[in-house]
Amino acid sequence: MQPLRRGLLAGILASLVLAMFDFVTVGAPGNGLPAALHWFGIALADPTLSRWVGFFLLIVLGGVFGLIFGALQRDKLITAGHALLTGLALGVLWWLIFELVLTNIMNHASSPFSLSFGRFLSSFPLDVLFGVLLGAIYVQLQGRQAAEAS
Amino acid sequence: MSISSSARKTKQVGTTAAGERTAAAPITLSERSSNGLALLRILVGYLWFQQLFWKLPPTFAGLYGYVVRESQHAIIPGYGTLLQHTFLAGCPSLSTPTDCTAFVPLAACVWTAELVVTISLLFGLFTRFGAILATILALQLYIGLAYSPGEWIWTYGMLVLLALFLVAVPAGRRLGVDYWLAPRLQSAAQRHRWARIASWFV
Repeated sequence: MQPLRRGLLAGILASLVLAMFDFVTVGAPGNGLPAALHWFGIALADPTLSRWVGFFLLIVLGGVFGLIFGALQRDKLITAGHALLTGLALGVLWWLIFELVLTNIMNHASSPFSLSFGRFLSSFPLDVLFGVLLGAIYVQLQGRQAAEAS
Repeated sequence: MSISSSARKTKQVGTTAAGERTAAAPITLSERSSNGLALLRILVGYLWFQQLFWKLPPTFAGLYGYVVRESQHAIIPGYGTLLQHTFLAGCPSLSTPTDCTAFVPLAACVWTAELVVTISLLFGLFTRFGAILATILALQLYIGLAYSPGEWIWTYGMLVLLALFLVAVPAGRRLGVDYWLAPRLQSAAQRHRWARIASWFV
């Protein structure tokens, strides 16, 4: 159970960092948050509500990816290298699912894998960062809990 | 996390009675402070990340106006002339980089350097190297643009200070790849010169 709880917390915290970026964005704060709704074809008329729901959906998705991360560890203590690599892989998976395939499907693009350089550059590093943060936070939580237990 | 971190390990402080009286207490950062620093590093990385998009390759057009302004308002004598006779040589227009062949290699180098800073600071990968590069880029901006019309001099001054701060502290060792990299480089530094040099940058 511990790895799942750690993963959940790590996922939520990592997605909070992603959400935080949207408060230093061009235009109004939180402008990019409705993109999370767009991945699932949800459109809300009220822009403020749309930002808040997008924010919560992002946190929920972060939590889900954190749970997946925790489930992959199967009650084992993992090394920092293993955590960072697993996180990196989950970050790439996040990018593939949400930023590439779902965005293309919702935008009725010619292919689910069509991609421009600008769109790649604006999404890939941040999604990989989510994964790296997920792994780094997880391994730090694991270290703290091990220290408390001993 | 101790704030001292390079492989050429710190000198022992206060080993004699006289030394104990005069030596400052060593500074140790708590986990919470270290994570706070890491968050600051990530945000500074995001700052550089956002700046990649208004000067995208292959034309780097957004950068051109700033280089022209640097050539007109640089605070170091001769800097503007140097720009005008190298990277802006033969440029027919002050507003667009069309037919301005020497500008593209400069712009490509600037953009690549900013991408390296972004990756380094966002991911905490050789963070001090990224911070040193960010300091150089920010200093260059300060020299060229701080005193140009419409600019607040502290914009670039603060950019320099932020980057310098990240050179001073090992901010990549929490929430970053340096967390994994630093102990490995430090143990390898005893045997390999390259590892000793690389460990200065984490």
